[in-house]
Order: sequence, then C-alpha cells, then structure tokens
Amino acid sequence: MQNHAGPNLSPALTEHDTNKPRGFRLFLKKLSLQRSLVFMSVPFVIWVIIFRYVPIWGWTMAFQDYKPYLTLWEQTWVGLYHFKFLFTDPVFYRIMRNTLAMSIINMVFGFVSAITLALLLNELRNLVFKRVVQTISYLPYFLSWVVAASIVSNALHIDGGIVNEFLMWLKIIDKPVNWLGVGEYFWWVLGVIDVWKNVGWNTIIYLAAITMIDPSLYEAAEMDGAGRLRKMWHITLPGMRTVIVILLIMNIGYLLESGFEAQYLLMNPLNLTHAENIDIFVLRYGINQGNYSLATAAGIFKTVVSFILLFAANNISKRLGEARLF
Amino acid sequence: MEANRIAIRSRRTKLSDRAFDTFNILFMICLMIVTLYPFLNTLAISFNDAEDSIRGGIYLLPREFTLDNYKYVFRQASIADAIVISILRTVIGTIATVFCSAMVAYTISRQEFVLRKFVTIIFVLTMYFNGGLIPTFLLMRDLGLLNNFWVYILPGLIGVFNLIVIRSFIDGLPEGLIESARIDGAGEFTTFIRIVLPLTIPVLATVSLWTAVWQWNSWFDVFLYNPQSPHLSTLQYELMKILQNSNSAMTSRTPASAFDGPDGGSNFVTPYAVRATMTIVASVPIILVYPFLQKYFVKGMTLGSVKG
Amino acid sequence: MINRKLLLALVAVLLIVLLAACGGGSKSGGDSAEPSTSQNGTTTETGDTEEGPPDPVTFTYFNAGASRKDVETKDTMIGKVYYDATGVNWRIEHLVGEVQTRIGTMIAGGQYPDVVVPDTEIDKMVDAGAFIDLKPLIEEHAPNIKRVYEPYYNLMEDDQGRIFFLPFSPLVGEYIPSPVIDQGAFWIQRRVLKEFNYPKIKTLDEYFDLIRQYIAKYPNEDLIGFTILTDDWRFFVLTNPANHLAGYPNDGAVMVDMETLEATDYGASEYMKRWLKALNELNAEGLLDQASFTNNYDQYLARLVSGKVLGYFDYGWQVNQANMSLQQAGNDDLEYFPLPIVFDHDIKDQYIDPPSFVNNRGIGITVSAQDPVRIIKFWDFMLEEENQIMNQWGIEGVTYEVDENGRLYRTPEQIEALRDQEYQQEVGLTYFSYYWPMYSPESKLPDGNAVAPGNQPEVAQMSFTEGDREILSKYGVQTFAELFSPPDDRPWYPAWSISLETGSPAQLFEQRRDDLQREYFPRIILASPEEFESVWNEYETLYNQLDVELYEQTMTELIRAKVEAVTGN
Repeated sequence: MQNHAGPNLSPALTEHDTNKPRGFRLFLKKLSLQRSLVFMSVPFVIWVIIFRYVPIWGWTMAFQDYKPYLTLWEQTWVGLYHFKFLFTDPVFYRIMRNTLAMSIINMVFGFVSAITLALLLNELRNLVFKRVVQTISYLPYFLSWVVAASIVSNALHIDGGIVNEFLMWLKIIDKPVNWLGVGEYFWWVLGVIDVWKNVGWNTIIYLAAITMIDPSLYEAAEMDGAGRLRKMWHITLPGMRTVIVILLIMNIGYLLESGFEAQYLLMNPLNLTHAENIDIFVLRYGINQGNYSLATAAGIFKTVVSFILLFAANNISKRLGEARLF
Repeated sequence: MEANRIAIRSRRTKLSDRAFDTFNILFMICLMIVTLYPFLNTLAISFNDAEDSIRGGIYLLPREFTLDNYKYVFRQASIADAIVISILRTVIGTIATVFCSAMVAYTISRQEFVLRKFVTIIFVLTMYFNGGLIPTFLLMRDLGLLNNFWVYILPGLIGVFNLIVIRSFIDGLPEGLIESARIDGAGEFTTFIRIVLPLTIPVLATVSLWTAVWQWNSWFDVFLYNPQSPHLSTLQYELMKILQNSNSAMTSRTPASAFDGPDGGSNFVTPYAVRATMTIVASVPIILVYPFLQKYFVKGMTLGSVKG
Repeated sequence: MINRKLLLALVAVLLIVLLAACGGGSKSGGDSAEPSTSQNGTTTETGDTEEGPPDPVTFTYFNAGASRKDVETKDTMIGKVYYDATGVNWRIEHLVGEVQTRIGTMIAGGQYPDVVVPDTEIDKMVDAGAFIDLKPLIEEHAPNIKRVYEPYYNLMEDDQGRIFFLPFSPLVGEYIPSPVIDQGAFWIQRRVLKEFNYPKIKTLDEYFDLIRQYIAKYPNEDLIGFTILTDDWRFFVLTNPANHLAGYPNDGAVMVDMETLEATDYGASEYMKRWLKALNELNAEGLLDQASFTNNYDQYLARLVSGKVLGYFDYGWQVNQANMSLQQAGNDDLEYFPLPIVFDHDIKDQYIDPPSFVNNRGIGITVSAQDPVRIIKFWDFMLEEENQIMNQWGIEGVTYEVDENGRLYRTPEQIEALRDQEYQQEVGLTYFSYYWPMYSPESKLPDGNAVAPGNQPEVAQMSFTEGDREILSKYGVQTFAELFSPPDDRPWYPAWSISLETGSPAQLFEQRRDDLQREYFPRIILASPEEFESVWNEYETLYNQLDVELYEQTMTELIRAKVEAVTGN
C-alpha cells in the first residue's frame, strides 16, 4: 500500500529519498509528513472504535443463554445452540429464499427506477416543472410504513380497492385480484410498493451526480450532432457511473437486509409463506420471547454473509476496472 | 447531398425530441399523481372527524371536516419544547455530521495517505454489524451520555454511507484542482476547506438532506437514552407517545376491560386519525427543507464557477 | 470562497450550542430531584396547617402497562388531594416503544425509577433483583395493604415467602360482573333478529342458519354473512371460538377440565375441526367474507361499521371503536347484539370471565428507591375506602353524585363529560383508577356501591341507548350480561396469563403451533368441502409432530400449582 505514493508524494519526502528508509520506519516517516491528514482522520477512527467496535462484546450473547441482569462472567454458555436453532429450523430455507428474493427484487427495481427517473428528470426543460416533480415524487418517503401500509392495503383491497377498479376499467382483468392474498404475488407487489415509496428519495443522489458532470461534454456532443437519447447514454449515464457502482457494492453487502416493517405490516395468513424473512423470524422466536441471544446469533450470521458479499463485490468491481470501495 | 442529409437528420431528431418530451411530461404527471395521492389522502383523514374515519372510504377530501385531531395532538404533547430540541438536534447534528464526514472523506480520497486503506476499511465494515442494543446502551451509560443532549449527536457523528458517497464525489474531481492548490502552498486542511468543500456542494447538499431527515425522524434514541428527561424530548418522540396513547386506549387487553366500563374510554380519538395527523405534523416541517436545498442541484453551477 | 463566511458562522454557532447544551446536559442527572425525603416521613394528615402540603416529595413511577400522557400527579384533581394530604407527588412516565427493550436496558443499566409497573416483563424484574421485599414494610407500616392483600398472600409470595409486587386484582367484598359484554361473544346485526322477530338462538347452527335465511331474503343487498379478524396477534379471534363453543371461558389455547384440572390444547381437537368445518361450509356457500384473511384491523373495523356484515365473533374490548361509531351513526338496525353461542343445546356457555386474581402483573418498589417507607405508607393511604372511591369515581359533585340512599351515581352530563379523554386526565382518573395497589374493579363496597362506576347498575343503565333498552326488553333482560350464564368458579383463571419460562420448550411450542395454525387455518377454511378432510389431516399430522404432550403437561402442572395456591391446599 505504502508504495503507492508515487508522483503525488509531497516534495519534502523526495528530498530524503536518497536515505531510502524502509518498512516500518518509512511508514512512520510518511505518517509524520502527512500529519495533517492524520489529525483530520485519526480522531474519528478513535470515535469509530469507541462507538462501533467496543459494543461488539455483545456478540458473546449469541453463545450464551443471556440474562440482562447477570454480568458477562455469570452468564450460562450454550455454545452454538442458537445458531443450530436458526439453521436447523424447518422454515429456515423458506425464510432465506424470501429474504434473498425480496432484497434482490427491491435492489434491482430500486436502482433501475431511481436511475431512470434521474435521467428523465434531467431531460425536463421547464425548471419549475422539474422542481415540482422532484418535490412531489419524494413525498411518500416521509410517510411511515404504518401509514403507507394502510394506504397500500386499501388501494389493493379486493373489495373496491382502487387498483382493482382501475385495472377492471382498463379491462386488463375481469374480476378483482386479491393482491395481498396470494403468496406468489407478494415479492413483486412489495417491489413495486418499495419503488413507489422511495424512488423520489433515491433519485436525489443521482441528481447530485449529474450536476457534477462537466457541461462542456454536452456541448461537444451536440457539435457532433448527438440526439437526446445518445447524450443520455453516452454522457449522463457514464457521469453517474462511479456513484452507481459504489452504491451497488454497498447494497450488495446488505443483501440479507430485506427490510422488516413493510413485510410485517402487509403480511397476512394467506401470503406469509412468501412474506416471512429472517428479521420477522428473529422477532417471533427471539425478541418477542425475550431471547436476545437468538437475535444476536442472527445478527452475526448476517454480518458474516455481508462481509463475504462486500469483499466479493468490491473485488469483482476492481477486476472490471470499476470504482471500488476500498 | 451532405447538407441535405444533415437537415433530414436534424428534422427527425426534432420530431423524436418532441415525442420524447411529450412522453416524458406525461410520465411525470402520472408519477406525481401516484406519489401525491398518499399524502393528500393522509391530509384528508387528518382533517376528517375521527369517528367517521373508521368507516373508511376517504380519498382526497375530508367527509366531515374538523380541526379536532390537530387540537388533540397539540394539546396532548408538550410540543413547543420538543420542537426546539428537534430543530437543535437536526441543525447541530447535520452540520457536525456533514462536516466531519466530509473531512474524513477527504483524507481517504488522498491516494498517498498511508492510512488510507486502514481508515476506509475500519469505517466501511461498521456498516454491516452492530453490537446490539444492550451493549450500546451500556456504552452510552459509561460515557455519561444518558439523559444528555449529546447522545443525539455523538453516536451518529460520521455516517459511513455518507462518508463513502462523499469520497466517491471527491474522487471524481479533476486531480489538477487539488494539485494546483497544493503547489500554491496550501495545507491539507486549507485545501479541504477552500477547494474541496465548495466543489462538492451538490453531494454535501444531498448528504445534509439525508442526515437532517434522519435526525428529524429519530425517536428511538430518545426512547432508549433520555426517557426520563422530558426537557430533552423531541417532536417525533412526543408524537410516538400520542400514537401509543390512542392505540392503548382502544385496544389494550385486560385493564381496559376492567376500568373502561360503559362510561370509560373515549369516543373521540381513533388511532388512524391520530396517525394521519401526526404524519402531517411531523413531516411537513422537514419536507419544506427540500425546496431550499434544491438550488444546489442546479446543473453545472459548481464546476463551471470554479473553472471559469 | 463563497462559503467561507457561512462556514465560519456555522462553526461558531456549533461551538456556542455545544457549550450551551453541555451545560444543559449536566443539569439533567438526578431524577427524584426535589430534596426532602426525611427518612421517617410523616404521612399523618397535618392538613390543618396553612403552609401547604407536609414535607413535599416527588417519586418517579414508570408504567409499562399503559401508554398515556406523562404527568406529575399533583397537576391532576385527584393527585392534588393526595398531595395536600401527604405531600407526595408522582412523576409518572409511561411506556413508549417496546416494553422488552425498555425494561431490558433498565435491568442491564441497573438504574430504576422509584416504582415500576413492568407489565409482561415482571418476571425479569424479579429475577434481576430489581424489586425490594415488601412484606416487612407492610407488616410494619401498612395495615390497609395487609387487610386487602392478605387473603392472596399465598399467590403473591415467592418460595422464600417474600412479596415483590402488589397485583391489581384483589377482590374486596362481593363480586360484581360487568353489565356489558366486553368479553367474547358471537355478535349479530340487530336487523337480523328484528326480521325474524327476536328468536332465541343458542347453537352455532341456529346462528348461521339465521344469517343464511336473512341473506336468502335479501339476496341483492351485497351482504356479507360472517367475517373473521385474523390480523397479526389478533389471530386468536379465529381460534378461541372453538373453546367458547364447547362451553369454556377464554383460557387461551387450552381447555381446562374442572375436575381433574388437566389442560388440553384444543388446536387439533374435534371442537376445532367442527368450528372450522362450519366456516368451510359457510365459505362454500359464499357467505364468508372473502377478505377475512387479508383485512387488517382497521379494514376489519371499517367493514363492521359499513353495516354490510351480519355477524362475527370477537371480544367486546376489541370492537369497542366500531360499536361506538355505529352508535353515533344512530341506526339501531346496523348495531350488533352479543349472543352466547355454543355447539349444542346441552352446553352451558362460559363467555363471561370468572373472578380471577392475576398474580403476574403488579406494581413494585425498586432497589433505587430512596424512601420505600414513605411509598408504602402512601399506598396504604390509597387503600382507605374513601380513597378507593376517589380513585375510581373521582371528586364528589364534579364527576359523581351521592343520592339520599347513599348510592353513588353519575348524571348524564357527567358521563358525557367523562367521555373526553383529556378531561379524564385532568381529573386524574386516567392515572389513579388502575396500576396502583387497589381493590379489584369487580369489588363491592360494604354499603352496596360498586367500586368501579362501570359496574354500578345506575351508571350502566344511564349509558344504554333507547335502542339498547328496546332490544333488551324483547329478550326480557335488563343488561346484556344477563343473557349469558354466570361464570363458574375457576381458581386458575385465566390460563392465558400463566407465564411460561423464556425460551422453554413449552413457550417454543406455543410459537410453533401459532405459526402452523396461521398458515393452515385459512387453507382449511377456503378449501372446497371435498378437500376439507385432506387439508385438515395434513394440518393434524404436522400439529402432532410438535411436542403437544410436554406443553399440556407443563400447563397442567402450572394450573394445578396455581389452584393449590388459591385454595390453600
């Protein structure tokens, strides 16, 4: 890593190059030369260690029969019991399938919709209209899931729900569909709801990326006679590329986090076979029963998977010559 | 010949351009209808008589107009003080978080920084784990952050997601700009303040918005760390209380049946109407922030101005 | 460059606020701030002295049982009376969010308010040693507490004879049941009864037949015969009727034999099958609400208020909102009437709760409390009869009246005024009528008055509408409860409140059974009648794979233990 310095090295260091300090001493030397960068970052490293790493001792709970009133040394240790409980549960396969399916669908829908919307917004010529659309499209983000879920389940209701009425009016369906009453539909319904709720909000970062694109690129393309779509494809989209890739890598690490509230609130006895995910399972068998240990075990499992996915995604991106996280 | 071809092409382009614009505008109108509806619906319910709302079937306009829901919400909670705390935590939290995140982001964007990879990884990993509720609670207790305003600011001082996003924008800046500042003899901190911050305003605006909304909406930390300090309560927490009041008044199991006899209970509040009212009260102030930040998303402003 | 000034200004603001907030932060350490607390606080009523309350003190009280507006009790009318008499003020904090989280962090942190009502987490508080033993304090300072609670000591003591908390339901004097049905019942729309001239119906078949006939008479009105609530934890509304129809009270998921005290899980019993079969048939005829399994609670209530649903099973407390809304709309025909339906004519219904002592909820003094003696003395003072009346009825001349015969009553205006939650808070009824050491609300005072206004016949009658009185007279009764059989004595009741050990196999069984039923019951009900048997069998097989026996055994043991404690042998 240290050898990367190359041409960016500050002039001070090159002067001493003749001495060629090596290894640890070189490292210290560079450190002292870069002390302003160190002062700007190391205090926050200490911060992150205190606030994020210190509480990891809590992971010991996963191997205990944790009782909050006992100290760490007084707990009963149960080894891998909670992990076994989680992995050998008859529905474990089902909840894993649901978790992955929902988070992949949500991720794909989320990325595609937000990027598309950002591109289209960028093409609007009337600035007032553009700002109005932006502001309105991000409103649903501010509804809590409780409120959003109740609006959604009314809209999808089999008896007079607006979605059914509309589709019947368009003659796409001839009798009302019980959208939330069929397990197989649930993932897709949820994906669409997620887009509806978050697309405006998710767009903001891409709009910021677009503003950073050098306007002269568009001018040059216009000189070449490029049309709207070609400019979108060849300039705007590549301009967002880094951000897209970075967000994608980070989100791949979150694949086991498929959300919780929306599923919980829209779940019913008819669709639960497709709605239940890891978080809901943990809520039922862990938190609701005062079993912190199971919840912690599930958390550790998710972290391990996240790390694997994260490093893999980062690596692939690196190989493909794209931006990377670290 | 040649000229002719260009003319034909540009006419075709214009035609397809117009088609594209029309399609685009229609699409945006549909989008607005779909995204505006839930909000209008919530607004309508918040102005509708609570008893009547149980019947359902309220869409865009209240059926029996009333201000009672708002009166109820404002009388139930000590909202005035809570709003001050909410604003304080949002403003301080946002400024502190954005500033600190940007600073660290700058350091890890410097290719030559020897700790670059170490710092990056130590932050990135924290996105994917947490020690759990009780260890975190005990940490806050030991740091003396219980019943303390700073528990709203310190634990979230650096948003790692923000950090990475800011870094990727800094990476996208032309290297020459930063180099030229250095050659002028500016130190790292000066370069960061004078060159990097102004150049990354769009992303800082984005991150500010994220942080502000997150700060504004938080109530769990109030619940966990400051429940016994009413003077540190926030708007969202006060509203959560009202919501739970109305829920429990209606649905709680044994006690309700024991003492809410024929004369007990209330014929006024219903959870749903309160929920709708709360949503409006809680979200309108923060929603209004966006239009003010929007100007930072106007195309080309930053780079153009610096380069020019 | 544009932003340097702005930035500097921001940093300056930041610093100022930092400093200001630091100052604010340090102020907020202690909770029971007001000084005083002389160790042997004199709680004798020195009311004559002019200079206000004696030796004022503020105690902190956390209530996880209810969510309400937080208060200082001296700001309420009732609390003021107490404050003037004893100098004690309570700062009450109610639960927001999850009770497990709040109590869990309290225990882990080891700091408590003076007094806590931990609701469902009470075992954890006791296990954690968070409560002090009240028994010596009661012996020494609290004759009233002893008078009220001593009959229940064997239900309250732990194995070493200590008492850590006081439950809320010690019966004093005679037992008065509630005159309205806030418990389970099969409800039917009043117009259906009217149409057929108020028939007396008792069995499930008769009940469903009446609904069938009504729909057959009005086929074009888009009516829904029967609807079920299945949303989230409210799913028990679908499973409990099997027990009720067989003539048992709401004992949760078990049927308890009155003789042998054996608990049976009826989840796959003949009763359950018969109940589901009836629903299956109803569905095949198109009379069951097709949205039963997708409606959430709000949508369910909206359906009941819409007037299209002819019947449903539910608990009164859960449909209170809908009933009130219907009452306000003023169309008697669309209101519902509760019926004690059973499977067969020879079964005696047991919908009404028997008298019960819930011994795993209560209020305790924590180890953090500075002055437990003063608290216990205050509680003792609350248990004076006149204070019990004040806690439940409020202030004489303001929220209740006394007639020449010494009967307590409320005027229609008072009843109307008390419908307003905020007024109840102002008076303090919200804060004093429950979650304190108290007479159970079903108690009767020696002079014949009910402790709880809701159980006083005068008050109940006053709150009935014209329509209520009319339909009640058609059935020749005064109150709704009279249509139901009086409850038998079941000393263990209610079995659903018996707590199972966290993470125990029995607790795990309950969760697995609930999950299984949630998945299969809709399928069983919605199956075509030919497939009913096969889907049921599929369910039964899976059910039998769970450890039912162990669960029943555990429940039986716990029930027997409780009965032993209650009856004292």
